[in-house]
Amino acid sequence: MRGLLAIYQKELVSYFRSPIPYFAVSVFLVLTGFFFLRNVFETGIGTMDETLQNMGVLLLIIVPVLTMRLFSGEYTGRTMELLMTLPLKPWQIVLGKYLGATTILLLMTLATCIDLIPLYLYGNPETKTILSGYLGFVLLGMAGLAIGQFFSALTQNQIVAALGSVLVLLAFWFVGHLQSFQSSYALRSLFGYLSFSQHFADFIRGLVRSEAVMFYLIVSAIALTLNTSYLQWRR
Amino acid sequence: MSIVSSASPAIVLESVSKRYGSKTIIHDLSFTVGQGEIVGFLGPNGAGKTTTMRMIAGYTTPTSGRVTVAGLDMATQNEAAAAKIGYLPEHPPLYDVLDVSTFLRFVAKIKGVAAREIASELERVIGACRLEAVTRSEIFKLSKGYRQRLGLAQALLGKPQVLLLDEPTAGLDPGQIQETREVIRAFGETHAVLLSTHILHEVTLICQRVAIINQGRLLAIDSPGGLQRASEQTNSVVLEATAPADPLRQELLSIAGVNAVRIQLLPGRTSTHYVECQVEARDGIESHIARAVASRWELHRLERQQPTLENVFLRYVRAGVREREAA
Repeated sequence: MRGLLAIYQKELVSYFRSPIPYFAVSVFLVLTGFFFLRNVFETGIGTMDETLQNMGVLLLIIVPVLTMRLFSGEYTGRTMELLMTLPLKPWQIVLGKYLGATTILLLMTLATCIDLIPLYLYGNPETKTILSGYLGFVLLGMAGLAIGQFFSALTQNQIVAALGSVLVLLAFWFVGHLQSFQSSYALRSLFGYLSFSQHFADFIRGLVRSEAVMFYLIVSAIALTLNTSYLQWRR
Repeated sequence: MSIVSSASPAIVLESVSKRYGSKTIIHDLSFTVGQGEIVGFLGPNGAGKTTTMRMIAGYTTPTSGRVTVAGLDMATQNEAAAAKIGYLPEHPPLYDVLDVSTFLRFVAKIKGVAAREIASELERVIGACRLEAVTRSEIFKLSKGYRQRLGLAQALLGKPQVLLLDEPTAGLDPGQIQETREVIRAFGETHAVLLSTHILHEVTLICQRVAIINQGRLLAIDSPGGLQRASEQTNSVVLEATAPADPLRQELLSIAGVNAVRIQLLPGRTSTHYVECQVEARDGIESHIARAVASRWELHRLERQQPTLENVFLRYVRAGVREREAA
């Protein structure tokens, strides 16, 4: 447990002391603010629905920037040799890093709550719907982080890691569109089930389905397990 | 040649091999390092020193064979063994964004140093590695010498039983090299140290035994003195004498124990020669030579040359290559 905690703390310190996360989070917050202004003040509709939808798409680009360094940086800095020879189990390394990245995601999510102030001041939004949307956003982000972290473990090159995870995240986002081309019911439901965007849309509508919660958690668990097995295999 | 150390072994390699694809990097390597022993690991670049170190440290696993550290099998008890190993890889593994004490605290926590002992443990390794001046500095600002010593400091954290050091004095200035050797020597009095280097002088200074490897094979393992004694080929006596070349050669070759003589005229002289005699490795031969030469001619200088570890090393490495080429 101490090892896991040490990795987690080190990750947080690394995030706060390197410029790229600041840049990525700033871009995310500026764009979120821009979409919020457009969606709410231009249309006069006092909900977070559209903005959360935009935030979800933005997340697909921002998450890989947050995760690309996680293992690639350890390889190029030659610190992987230290981590793998300290009394740590691979899952502790993987989980410690994942929790660090998740903390940054939560902080980033918290920062977007500033948009809620004008919403509650000038409008009458449904709190439950907003909470459900945010829950969906965090779960989507967690699944994205796990995938991005796994890709980071596969290569020494941070750019390759980021591009690889963007591709996979976009595929998960758009896979639902393949439904209309399928005649088979099984394939249609499979593509629907795999779609990040369809599950996320439910959350935005205020629908917290256990199936959707489980889906994001299972995707995260699979990516983290693959990540751990890969580290074990590399030995 | 003693593969097994006399002390209780802290590191045991049994027929260890490592293959990457079809390429075999380490061939059937076996040796031990005892508690309270410093073993030097000697070999040219690319000999397999780093790969062997990595297998002992648990960073990579052998393709076949077994590595045991402090009685724990690295294949099955990797994590428990890791707590007993201090490892300084070839490139010190440091996080550039952290400062020195944050980094050391991070390693100490993972090594299981109790929370109340962390401060004193940090003080101990910072003192031993002379890092006092940089404890608050960010690691990316450190010079190469400091980085190397910080790498050593993290290896010493948590009082490991076994220390694996891959070229620990690389990049240090002469004063720092001296201090680092003292740290290693002091640690090695009670613990097991395996130290890879290609500085032969270092090995004679601090190691009880030397393992010479090349192309992934163990060529010899013995004490530095033992290796030198075993290397009879490089025993020679050098002298300078004023004498005619041919009679001098005949006189020298008539002495029992002198195998070959090489004579050359010293530059600018008419009859003073520089002579190199290949002799058998027994004591007293130089006095026979001195008497024989001095009784007939003028002897200016005579010196028995011990084989240097450089020569021993080169001989083993070249002989190993020749044997394999012949095979």
